[in-house]
Amino acid sequence: MRPDAPSRVELLQGTLDLLILRTLLAGPAHGHAIAKHIQRTSEDLLKVETGSLYPALHRLEAKGWIAPSWELSNKGKRARFYRLTPLGRKQLAAEQSKWEAFSRAMALILNPVDPEAQ
Amino acid sequence: MSSFFQKLLWLRQRSDKEAELREELQFHLQEEAEQRQEEGLTEEEARWAARRELGDVALVKENTRAAWGWTRLEQLALDAGYGLRLFRRNPAFSAIAIATLALGIGGITAIFSAFGAVLIRPLPYSDADRLVMIWDDMSREGRPGHMPTPAEWLEWRRHNTVFTDIAATQPGDAALSGDAEPEQVPARKTTANLWSVLGVTPLIGRVFTEEEDEKGVRVVVISHGLWQRRYGGSPDVLGRNITVNDSPYEVIGVMPREFYFMPARDIDIWMPASFPAWMRTNFTWHDAHVVARLKPGVTLDRAQESMAALSLQVTEKDFRGPHSVVVTPLRAEMAGKTQTALVVLLCASAALLLIACVNLANLLMSRGAARAREVAVRAALGAGRGRVIAQFLTESLVLAGLGAVAGLALAVPAMRFLERLVPETMGTVRLALDWRVLAFSAGVALAATLTFGLAPALRASRLAPQDGLREGGRGTAGSRSHWFQHSLIVIETALAVVLLTSAGLLLQTFQHLRNTDLGIRSEKLLTFESPLLRYEDFDRRMAFVNSQLESIRAIPGVVNAGATSRIPLTVTDQATFYLLAGQSRDRVPDQVALFRVVTRDYFPTIGARLREGRFFEISDRRSASPSAIVNETFANRNFPGRSAIGARFKFGQLGKEGYWYTIVGVVKEIREPGIAEQSKPAVYLLHEQTDQWSTKGARPSGIVVRTAVEPASIVSAIRNAIWSVDKSQPIWRIQTLEQIVDRQLSTSSQSTTLLSAFALLALLLASFGVYGVLSYAVTQRTSEIGVRMALGATSRDILLSFSSRGLALTLTGLGIGLALAAMTSRLMTALLYGFQPRYATAAAAVSLVLLAVAALASFIPARRASRVDPMIALRNE
Repeated sequence: MRPDAPSRVELLQGTLDLLILRTLLAGPAHGHAIAKHIQRTSEDLLKVETGSLYPALHRLEAKGWIAPSWELSNKGKRARFYRLTPLGRKQLAAEQSKWEAFSRAMALILNPVDPEAQ
Repeated sequence: MSSFFQKLLWLRQRSDKEAELREELQFHLQEEAEQRQEEGLTEEEARWAARRELGDVALVKENTRAAWGWTRLEQLALDAGYGLRLFRRNPAFSAIAIATLALGIGGITAIFSAFGAVLIRPLPYSDADRLVMIWDDMSREGRPGHMPTPAEWLEWRRHNTVFTDIAATQPGDAALSGDAEPEQVPARKTTANLWSVLGVTPLIGRVFTEEEDEKGVRVVVISHGLWQRRYGGSPDVLGRNITVNDSPYEVIGVMPREFYFMPARDIDIWMPASFPAWMRTNFTWHDAHVVARLKPGVTLDRAQESMAALSLQVTEKDFRGPHSVVVTPLRAEMAGKTQTALVVLLCASAALLLIACVNLANLLMSRGAARAREVAVRAALGAGRGRVIAQFLTESLVLAGLGAVAGLALAVPAMRFLERLVPETMGTVRLALDWRVLAFSAGVALAATLTFGLAPALRASRLAPQDGLREGGRGTAGSRSHWFQHSLIVIETALAVVLLTSAGLLLQTFQHLRNTDLGIRSEKLLTFESPLLRYEDFDRRMAFVNSQLESIRAIPGVVNAGATSRIPLTVTDQATFYLLAGQSRDRVPDQVALFRVVTRDYFPTIGARLREGRFFEISDRRSASPSAIVNETFANRNFPGRSAIGARFKFGQLGKEGYWYTIVGVVKEIREPGIAEQSKPAVYLLHEQTDQWSTKGARPSGIVVRTAVEPASIVSAIRNAIWSVDKSQPIWRIQTLEQIVDRQLSTSSQSTTLLSAFALLALLLASFGVYGVLSYAVTQRTSEIGVRMALGATSRDILLSFSSRGLALTLTGLGIGLALAAMTSRLMTALLYGFQPRYATAAAAVSLVLLAVAALASFIPARRASRVDPMIALRNE
């Protein structure tokens, strides 16, 4: 069976959105720069599929979490820059604490602390 | 409004956004390529790497657009466009599917509109469902629903306990003259309470009072039509004196446009009945229509019971013995046979809709299976499952929509045809489209389209694309769906058989009616009425009738002309008792015969034939022993096995003062009652010899003219000829005998035509169904056929195996259909006019036709199967 395209987006949705929002916290950036930043910062562990990136950007834009504007890139070309909106900032905070709780829970289960060792 | 502009704004934004997205992705590619170049790739390599990394641009765009959140509408438009394109590419399929839908939807919509107009639409009376008509039950005389007498009406009105009131009307035609061209109009004498019983009020003026009715005051209420036509719709018609039958009458009221009442929708003048004293006590003067309003809480059954008892009491002293009455709802009386015809047609159109849906289901399923590959390709190119389903959904919607529009286009002209089916007793009807029915039938069709249009999409989209793509891959339809499709075929065949058989029965009946010997040469025979109400005196009347006939005979193109008191086939009344010489008087109650007063030229003019004796001759003059001619039914009943010539009978006045008539001829049955009615004993008297008794209502006012030219071409010449004799003489009801016959057969011919059309369409659809399923099976099983042929099966074997499958389905459907038809034919008894059509003949004919059509429908795909080249078929594996 061919995995359905929508379900793949679903799978990445939560995390990719969070990663984009976090990246933009540093300042406005265009799509390519966001992808590269995530890739570089995660030491190439995470590779953002372009096929998912742009739908995600437009979705976040539709939700009002990020706002686009056409600006010149550092190479002097017109690029679509995204910046975090106040609403996006709030969302980032919520998502981040949710994610931290989740990863802590995952870590606790995957690497149980031996109670007797305490 | 604002949402409309919003949409417009969106449309502009949409192209902006589309451009932005393109630029954004373009920028991404450039960035990526530059980066790759920095990493050491050549410009060419870098561009390709960037392209690869981005993946399917179309898909990225599509997914991004999905994020915009308002693309469903666009997709719909896209799919609709795609659907229309598909229809253009596969016109045969689309034409069949749309035509199938149109027939199903159009048929039931049109029929239901007529059904609603005749059987559901409110009658123009207040609380019309409480209105009933009362008829004398004279079954003993072969008249189960005979007209009551005014004397009975008086008694009923006085003594009944179940009605708030009872009204009576009597025939009474009116000749208008004086103020314009003489004109004969249909009129009705009525008791003063008719209006209150019906619960109607005049548009202007008033209706007459009980007092005016009793005193015989000369006042009339006129119809809206007459008011507009003859008096210019002016309100000062009220109080005007008009000349009716040479007497002055005052117009006191005008009825509203929508008012009509039994027995015909075109009655123009309502005058007080003013029953004369002798009529109030004569219980044999059957010429009234009686209408009554049920008291609140009284049911039809209770009224029937109570009135039957009352009638037996009232007619206790009748020398014919007491009789009961029949109480029937007014609407049933007005709808008449049309009711049955409409019920049958409605069932037929529902069956046709069902067949259409079944057929469509079959078509869509076959096509859906054939499109499995297309679905696979689209899935491989990145279409999600939802997207594929959405596309099939849209296509189904487009199909159903086009079908509904075509159905509507079909229903409108069909309704114009059906308007003629509305009985003459009811008001003129302009059938209006019943939107609820259209919506219902379109909904049914849509449901069928969606159910069966989507099933293949759901099934195909679950498959892995590589399976669907593989040439000659395993079929997508399992044995279960074969079984299902086969049942559909059996169902539609069975329904088609029911329709065909029913149509066959109606057709036989119609043929029988059509071929009934009228006893008249009906071609080029013009008939009309020249009323004689203004000629009370016998000698004046004789002179007028003779000079009128003379003047007509003088017109070029006229072969002969004669007169009778009743034009054949138009009215069944004018009957009386008779007594044969030597009979005892107590035989009289059973001996009723129609009587007609005719002129000497009447029989030769209509082309009547003699069984024995002679027609009237010059030698038959005024005398104390007049002669008479009787019909075969009279002769057979009274003189079985011997000659009637020379026998004598008394007529009209049976006492000492009555005259003895001598039978001089026996004429072959002339259809006096309607074509479909039982023939009745009849006697014909010569007008010249009727001076001795009062011939009220039995005057030769019906003129028959045999022409050598087209009858319509001499109508104005006839009118002028008659006006040259009497310039105030109106003539009316001008029609050829063929027109009379056509009108009598109209319910029969129209229901036969419509049912036959439905049945043929059903046959056509059913054969499409057989053809479609077999063709599909051949396509599906090409490789199997290849294997079988490679293993030694001859093409004859293959041909037989496929066509026998089609025939087996057809035979199953045929069997079920014939069994059903035997049951449903009982529904149509009323449309068979007492005729017993041969069910076996109809069934045999239907079986032959169906098998022939089915054999053809199976043979074509079967032959295709037998021509499969095993080499090619197997190469596909």
